[in-house]
Parts: sequence; structure tokens; C-alpha cells
Amino acid sequence: MSKLVCENLTKTYGDKTVLSKLNLTLESGRIYGLIGRNGAGKTTLLSIMSNQNPASAGRVTLDGENIWENRRALDRLCFSRELNISAESGLSGYSVKNYLKTAASYYAHWDQAMADRLVSLFGLTPKTKLGKLSKGMLSMVTVTVAMASKAEFTFLDEPVAGLDVVAREQFYKLLLEEYTETGRTFVVSTHIIEEAADVLEEVVILDKGRILRQQNTQELVDSARYVTGLREQVDGATEGLDCHHPEAIGRSKGVTVLLRDGEDIRPGFDVTVQPVNLQRIFVALCGEEAPV
Amino acid sequence: MNQRLTEDKSIYLQISQMIETDILRGILLEEERVPSTNELAKLYTINPATAAKGINLLVDAGILYKKRGIGMFVAAGAAEKIRSRRKQAFYEVRLSELLAEAQSLGITKEELIEQIQKEGRQK
Repeated sequence: MSKLVCENLTKTYGDKTVLSKLNLTLESGRIYGLIGRNGAGKTTLLSIMSNQNPASAGRVTLDGENIWENRRALDRLCFSRELNISAESGLSGYSVKNYLKTAASYYAHWDQAMADRLVSLFGLTPKTKLGKLSKGMLSMVTVTVAMASKAEFTFLDEPVAGLDVVAREQFYKLLLEEYTETGRTFVVSTHIIEEAADVLEEVVILDKGRILRQQNTQELVDSARYVTGLREQVDGATEGLDCHHPEAIGRSKGVTVLLRDGEDIRPGFDVTVQPVNLQRIFVALCGEEAPV
Repeated sequence: MNQRLTEDKSIYLQISQMIETDILRGILLEEERVPSTNELAKLYTINPATAAKGINLLVDAGILYKKRGIGMFVAAGAAEKIRSRRKQAFYEVRLSELLAEAQSLGITKEELIEQIQKEGRQK
């Protein structure tokens, strides 16, 4: 099994620290979700993990080899970034076809037949200039590059941004199809968490430049409870448990609990216990603490 | 297999329960192949590992069995097994919930029995 490992990654821009001594291990053959708030450092992390951006400190290794400027390691990695078509980037004049041609020359295992198939599946016109595409269509181009790169570790930054609900569903089915056929490893960052939750085997939560949590998605969701009731009852039922994001209105209180192995909500209290979805867990972990 | 997934319960449990329900309804027949984890993953847009967990639950319960290199099949007697297990769960879980709610509403045992008989006559 291959492993991509980040050790003590730190990235600073001037006096701003974006990543702070971050450690992360990604194993091959999984679909990972990278979630975090705006500015949490997701894109910076993905760009460092793919040699597109140097770390200020720390290193990234693939099966023990440092990936920095290492062609052999880079042939196994693909980070299909969100396309920036501003005037300075010079990309807006490229046609879809020429952009894909450039990508093809960059990726060692490029699959042109797959690129052609996705271009037609997404209804993209090869001759159209990138500058004329909508945000959703640009996402389709980046998804096409990511899939056709056939890279063993493929990173997708906000692949569904701007896509309509039908295209988003299409993307997740495509991702699963490619994953089940090839066993490639995917890291997908997204803000539309609930739609992606069932597809992600493991979720990595990034907060303020650190990994807040990395866990099997279903296990995390199964361990979460939302407990509500009279404040004293809720406090009693959740005493000693891993509580997050308490919210109170008058005498009532609600709190998100992440149960550790073997734990349960304490019995004997008059409270309502409900399941919590991944999106709510994320808010409980990364949202601003409400004053109670 | 065409039910929708909800957020109230673990996905793998829903997968195993949907397959069970399909066996009870005769949508999946005994000794017939069930969809593979990859097929289920694509159908429901879920991770194949989650689908596999649901399938394995049914293998452990003796409801599905594996034919090497071919896939998962519905075991003989699976429907009866599911029915008796659900019956037990009905008595142990649903009935006790019903009785607890009845008690908190002050419904007496006699009133409850009378209601059940009345419902039964209408059916």
C-alpha cells in the first residue's frame, strides 16, 4: 500500500501562518474528503502536497521519497486546481482542446480517450475559449483533467463549485466509477458537505491550518449525537463526554456530543437524543462557539 | 433497491435493511445474485466500503452468502429468517415504545386492547 505523508508542514505568507506543523497520512485506495472553512488552508495544503507550492518548513513524502522536484513521485500525483481565468493568468485565450493538450503533456499517464469522453459527457465544446466558460463549465474542465490524468493520487479542489445539482450527482457517480475500476486515491475538497458525505470513506477536517480530525466518515457520523432538553438535564446526560458547540434558549439547551469508543449518553435524564449529519458535526467543530 | 437513503440512520444499516425488505417482498429471490458493492455504490452514490459493510452484516446473519468469484447470493430460508427476526424486534422495540407512549398518555391496558381489536375489525 502506498502512503503520502505530510510531516510538520508549515506554510507562512509574510507574517500570516496558513499551515502550522501539520501532520497527515493518506493511504492509497481511498476517497478522502478535505473539509474546512474558507481560509482554513485547504488549497495551500493540496498545492504543497502536489509540489506546486513549496512548504516553509516540513516535508511531503510518497512512499518515503520526498516529492519536492522529484519527477518519479510527481508522475503519481495530480492536483487539478480551480481555473483562474483572470487576465493575468493568460488562460482565458486557451480553448478547451488546447488546455487539455497542455495538461496531456504534463501528466505521464494521461488518458486521452477518457478526456474526450468526459468533454462530450459534460457537453463542452472543444473550440470554446476558457474565458467564455461559466464557473460550472470551468469546474467540468478541471474534473476532466483530474480524471484523465490517471494519477495514483488525485486531488480535486472544489470540483463541484458552480455545478448544478444534476452535474454534481454526475460527478460523484463518475468519481465512484473511476474509483471502483482503478482503486486510485482521491482527495476532494468541498463546501457542499452533506452531498459528498456518503461518498467519502474518510474525512479530514482542516481548521486554522491544523488537522482537527481525521476519521472514517461513517464512524464519525455514528458517534455523533445532538442532545436537547432542560439545561440541567442536558448537563447531567452529557457530563464527562466530548461536547461541542452548546446552544441555549431560555431554559433549554442543545449540545453536539462525539461519543468515544464504548461511551453513551448517560441514562436517567429526560433529554432528546438525535442523530447528527456530517455538516452539523462540521459546524459544531469549526463554527464559532455560541456563548452559553 | 429503489428506496431513498435518509439521514436518520447509518447508511450501511439502511443498505442491509433495504436488501432485507426486497427479499421479503420477493424483489430479490432466494438463490439469486444481489447487486455487488460497486453496483450499490454507484446506485446510491455511496462509498463502496460502506456498501460492503451493509452486505457483510447480512452475510454474518446468514441471509446472504458468497460464491467465490461470482458474487453475493440470497441464502435459502433467508426470507423466513428475516421475518422471524423482524417479528422479534417488533415485539421488543416497537411494542415497548408503544406501551411507554400509552402509559405517558394515561391509556389503560383495556382501552389499548379495545383499540387494537377495533382496528383489526376494520382491516
